[in-house]
Amino acid sequence: MTSDIRHKKMLTIDAKNVDFYYSEFHALKNINIEVEKNKVVALIGPSGCGKSTFLRLLNRMNDLIDGTRMTGSVLIEGKDIYAPNIHVDELRKEVGMVFQKPNPFPKSIFENVAYGLRVNGIKDKTFIEERVIESIKSAALWNEVKDKLNKSAFALSGGQQQRLCIARALAISPKVLLMDEPASALDPISTSKIEELIYELKKDYTIMIVTHNMQQASRVSDKTAYFYLGEMIEYDDTIKIFTNPTELSTQNYITGRFG
Amino acid sequence: MKRFFEKLVEGALLISGSITSITILLIVIFLFKEASGLFNSPVIEDGYVLAFNKDNPVKKLSSYQIKQIFDGAITNWDEVGGKEEPIEVVRLSDLTKYYTEAELGANFENIPAKASELTAKHPGIILFLPNSYIAKNFDGTLLKHETLRPGDFFGGKEWYPTASPSPQYGLLPLLLGTLWVSLGAILLSLPFGIAVAVYLAEISTMRVRNFLKPVIELLAGIPSVVYGFFGLVVIVPFLQKTFQLPVGETGLAGSIVLAIMALPTIITVAEDAMRNVPRAMKEASLALGATQWQTIYRVVIPYAKSGITSAAVLGIGRAIGETMAVLMVTGNAAVIPHTLLEPVRTIPATIAAELGEASAGGGHYQALFALGCILFIITMIISISVEFISSKKYSK
Amino acid sequence: MTPIINTGNIDRKKRISQGVAFTIFKLMSYSVVAMLILILGFIVSKGIGAISWDFLTKAPEEGMTKGGIFPAIVGTLCLVAGSSLFSFPIGIMSGIYMNEYATGNKVATFIRIMTNNLSGVPSVVFGLFGMSLFVNTMKFGDSILAGSLTLGLLSLPLVIRTTEESLKAIDNSYREGSLALGATKLQTIQKVVLPMAFPNIITGLILSIGRVSGETAPILFTVAAYFLPKLPTSIFDQVMALPYHLYVISTSGTDIEASRGIAYGTALVLIVIVLIVNLLANFLRNYFSKKVKTN
Repeated sequence: MTSDIRHKKMLTIDAKNVDFYYSEFHALKNINIEVEKNKVVALIGPSGCGKSTFLRLLNRMNDLIDGTRMTGSVLIEGKDIYAPNIHVDELRKEVGMVFQKPNPFPKSIFENVAYGLRVNGIKDKTFIEERVIESIKSAALWNEVKDKLNKSAFALSGGQQQRLCIARALAISPKVLLMDEPASALDPISTSKIEELIYELKKDYTIMIVTHNMQQASRVSDKTAYFYLGEMIEYDDTIKIFTNPTELSTQNYITGRFG
Repeated sequence: MKRFFEKLVEGALLISGSITSITILLIVIFLFKEASGLFNSPVIEDGYVLAFNKDNPVKKLSSYQIKQIFDGAITNWDEVGGKEEPIEVVRLSDLTKYYTEAELGANFENIPAKASELTAKHPGIILFLPNSYIAKNFDGTLLKHETLRPGDFFGGKEWYPTASPSPQYGLLPLLLGTLWVSLGAILLSLPFGIAVAVYLAEISTMRVRNFLKPVIELLAGIPSVVYGFFGLVVIVPFLQKTFQLPVGETGLAGSIVLAIMALPTIITVAEDAMRNVPRAMKEASLALGATQWQTIYRVVIPYAKSGITSAAVLGIGRAIGETMAVLMVTGNAAVIPHTLLEPVRTIPATIAAELGEASAGGGHYQALFALGCILFIITMIISISVEFISSKKYSK
Repeated sequence: MTPIINTGNIDRKKRISQGVAFTIFKLMSYSVVAMLILILGFIVSKGIGAISWDFLTKAPEEGMTKGGIFPAIVGTLCLVAGSSLFSFPIGIMSGIYMNEYATGNKVATFIRIMTNNLSGVPSVVFGLFGMSLFVNTMKFGDSILAGSLTLGLLSLPLVIRTTEESLKAIDNSYREGSLALGATKLQTIQKVVLPMAFPNIITGLILSIGRVSGETAPILFTVAAYFLPKLPTSIFDQVMALPYHLYVISTSGTDIEASRGIAYGTALVLIVIVLIVNLLANFLRNYFSKKVKTN
């Protein structure tokens, strides 16, 4: 790609002047954010501040909600994902998502991971099998499920289900992984496993994670963005945000004075 | 005082609440009570007897055998378990072939004696006479107290309640007619119903849905007799012309009308089932790059499987029990159907058409109530299986 | 991981199959609308000519090939009124019992299953039952009383279900609020729950009237008269009824061809009743839901 060379640094995510409305409600106000390749960015802020809404803009999940409207632009690897010639199903292959609550399909473990491959028209059995195993291994789940790939995914524990959902997202090798409070419904041990996993995945993916957990944000992320009432108050290196934030509001939030 | 009043009201409410259960119980009691006499009713018309030669080893005949003998379909006693001997059918009017009018007497006062004599002389005879012409010392076997057997009803291949000397109350043609028409209806309406349900639940905008829902409600509200009338004046002539049929009143006409009538039930139940699919399930699929359509047929429909099955079963139930519309368009020929392009007759239509003519307490009346019992049992099975299907949680 | 080999082909195929499927679904959905328009349009266009003041206010004449349908209209009104008198109070009380008193226990489950079963019983079985119990055993004869009771039992499950659903839709906090102020359960139901559920219950009742006015099979052997120009004077009289009249003159009248016009007119009157009932129900539903919003 020749255009890439002209940029000094290739931005994986580049959101410019993003405003977003749920009918009358102005949910996001002029958000600007740049994310480099293979970084982990944490979005923090009190409930209803717009961080999940922003995350769902990056794979156009908000398209599903009636009466929403967006202005501004979001570029992923230089492509405007809201351009008219973009098809959402192709976009969503590049931008994987893990949801707040584990949401495996009522299918076997194997079929859950293979789903993304199948809907994208891959029929080669050996390829699917290799890719499923590889993805489950990447999600640090292999040792726990290798003997029961044909069992229902519902038989797994919550933490295992969530790692299965991560494996499912990895199987179609996205460039970006969006995580919407992936550990909020899990116990502490499962949470730490997910956090370790995020650390590993950073080598191959660019990750954006929404979290309510300050420690989690500080442990896993390279950069942190603080949202409040639909505005992005501060976006900086995680170390800076947690030790010496510029804004008073950020400081109040991370020290637990409100939120 | 106040507490007593509260208790009183609660008691009244409980009684009201139990009315539906009591009704079901009463339906069972009254239907089965009226039908119970069926197997005690005589195989031959009231007030008549059948007589054989006393050496004839055959002492009993089933209702269907009697009919076949009088129709000429059975002509030899060995076909009904007797000796090799041709059957000689004699009715009251046939007596003149054997005796002159003078011999029978001016006021037919000699008939009892002559009938006895005739029966004794002819080994292959089967004589059908009113009770009053049978002499006290009749020389032969009388088939008088023979009653209808369960096999005559449940296994009977003909429904012909006015047949003489033995009315036919065979369930099979009616049961098969009912199932045949209902099956045709469900095959027509199920694909339609599911397609519309998918469209309403997953594809259409809110505005389109707000337009379509009242349309479907209205379709459900049209009385069955109006559907029947519409079928009679539009669908029946259309089928007659299209398929070059002698009559347009056919099973197919019934199936088409029933399909339209079952549509609202199927759509509503199936749509509810699809709306109950968790949003998270659909989002997970879309987030993996599946299109909306892939999400529908790979996630939504499998997840709503039990609800869609309930919809189909309820639709069949609606079709099986439907009376007036079917009565008006299917032609009501009580024969076992072979294609959908022949007239057929269903259980509900038979009850509605014939109960007015059946005398209370007679065999025909009881047979119609027995049909009602069959219909009731079928619909109970359907209700219970729907209960069972929808209570089953998604497993696997 | 290596990216999966992706040809634009697959994405295009996915979208084409979606387009095809959605178009089919859309067409099928609109053909349901077309069906309704066809049925309504046909009956309205053929029946409108038969409608006149005389048609609505005169008795049938000349073997039902001329004259009007007044006795049938009156008969249907009698049956609707009679069955409502029976099914509304019992149905509403039953719904209250199930949602407010027997919540979640085995009695409620049992009643619910029985009510569902009853709603699945075919209308002709109700006819048989009504004939056996009301006409023969209780000796009401073919009468408005017997017909109304039969129709009332038939519409009972519908009334119970709408009442129960309407009550269920009311948030528990309202009940708790009232109980916390020292009101008894009955007072809470009377003063808080029922007034709030009222609009939805009314809508359900109106729809059940629509259902009852069109039923034929249950009245065949319990009340309906083939031809009876005289109006009823007591609840033990037989009456004519609109749906039965349509059935009779379209299948077994003295001269089916000559009475076609009357048949179309009768069908139109039945359709108009259904339309009015549905429009009224929809109107009430919208009206009350708006009222709740503005409050």
